[in-house]
Amino acid sequence: MGDKKFMKGNNAIAEAAVRAGCRFFAGYPITPQNEIPEYLSWRLPEVGGAFVQGESEVASINMVYGAAAMGTRALTSSSGPGISLKAEGISYLAAAALPAVIVNISRGGPGLGSIQPAQSDYLQATKALGHGGFHAMVFAPNSAQEAVDLVYNAWDYAERDRNPVFILMDGCLGNIMEEVDLPPMKELNDEDIPGWALTRRNDPERDWQLSLTPIYTEEMLEGLNAMAGEMYKSWETEDVKYEEFMLDDAEYVVVAYGIASRVSKEAILKLREQGYKVGLIRPITLFPFPKKVIHDLDYSKVKGIIDVEMTLPAQMHDDIALQVLERCPIYEYGRSGGCLLDDDGVYEALLDIVSGGENNG
Amino acid sequence: MKQSFVFSGSGGQGIMSAGITLAQAAIDMGKHATYLPEYGPEQRGGSAKCTVVISDEPIVSPLPRLCDNLIVMNELAYKKFKDDVKDGGVLLVNSCRISDPDRRDGLSVISAPVDDIALEVGNDKAANVILIGILIGATDIVSEEAFKLSLQEKFKNKKPGILEMNLNALAKGIELGRHHRK
Repeated sequence: MGDKKFMKGNNAIAEAAVRAGCRFFAGYPITPQNEIPEYLSWRLPEVGGAFVQGESEVASINMVYGAAAMGTRALTSSSGPGISLKAEGISYLAAAALPAVIVNISRGGPGLGSIQPAQSDYLQATKALGHGGFHAMVFAPNSAQEAVDLVYNAWDYAERDRNPVFILMDGCLGNIMEEVDLPPMKELNDEDIPGWALTRRNDPERDWQLSLTPIYTEEMLEGLNAMAGEMYKSWETEDVKYEEFMLDDAEYVVVAYGIASRVSKEAILKLREQGYKVGLIRPITLFPFPKKVIHDLDYSKVKGIIDVEMTLPAQMHDDIALQVLERCPIYEYGRSGGCLLDDDGVYEALLDIVSGGENNG
Repeated sequence: MKQSFVFSGSGGQGIMSAGITLAQAAIDMGKHATYLPEYGPEQRGGSAKCTVVISDEPIVSPLPRLCDNLIVMNELAYKKFKDDVKDGGVLLVNSCRISDPDRRDGLSVISAPVDDIALEVGNDKAANVILIGILIGATDIVSEEAFKLSLQEKFKNKKPGILEMNLNALAKGIELGRHHRK
């Protein structure tokens, strides 16, 4: 057991997808995620899968839509500008109750932005991946290893919920090489093809499938939306994932995900050495957001929450504020546009806050 | 022990390869390593930079602001990154392209004509390997054996002469680096 490799985050995601049983990828190039399609262009044919470089993002997400309808584990990846183009297709996947995995290796924005890393797509990922008010589960790994683990299980969630799953990781983690331990190849057989797949059209036991060009009656659409609402609620209790770090006695609590959580952790370790009681809550699922752990902090002890993100202004702020309920101040620190967070920058910003400005300047 | 390295220069100078092979060698020795490339949209000639962190412990943050070892291949990168090395750190420069490196107090400056030495061993592309040789000679960050294995892996599908030349370049670098060992 154990298949250790020194891999780029992007390549690790691609290999994890293959080992999770993904057999179809369509996408269109964009930095900083190009290693994902590059890797899958040779890797998928090795395992009998299909790789397509689409003529556009729109074509690619619609090919994923088709593959998903057949019961194939399908993947697409892009970065901010390309994800915006895929928004229509993602919304259609949700409308047709189809599973697929969509990866955003995010970069500076808005618009074309920069090709350098940023965490600027939190709001897009968690609030509006497309039109019509649907949600996808959003996973935000903070290492190549965690990306492997989350992608490896992503289709299990997608197929369980018959809903797309979204992976949000910034370009920094996408391009960092680090050690990963790869899981074994999932061997999926015909019996593993979901009961509703079009490939089972002659199967008398076949489960329901929504129309692939869904136009519903008002009542049916309302019913589907209500069902989706129940599903999102169940995610909050059943599927929310987060990490707590040095939280027990913390007077200041950093909330950070992805790359920002790692830089924050380094700063927290240094602050702890100096006697400052600082802890961290790291959302791993951004949707469902880890509401309860933030809500249930002991605000007689906690003097402040610090939202650290590699974007300006901070985008998680409102989700945090809805749980803090004005019981303590919420501070923000970030970099943006492709300028990276760094250890000293986060340390100095946190020190300034936790020391009440004593160390300012 | 945790050590960070920034390799910088322009696209085509082997900056990224230097970082990857060094990190790979550290991993092969059972250490932990991260490698982060940063570059512009250009394939050749644009600025190239990579950050490598090597540690005995798992690496929390891969994004240090200041590095312990700054390795610079050309003047442009030198001007851009010269202040990114810690006090007490190592500044290793390609003296063929950087004539007058900073001698600020507490900085160990190693200035070596790596382009010229690379041409002597047979190919200017080997300059990056000479740089790593110097680092290995001057410090114990990775062993010569581990780095040789990393090079063998990298060049396993190339003509045998290429590996030989790079091993030669490595030996030259190590010899040079030994003079700077503290």
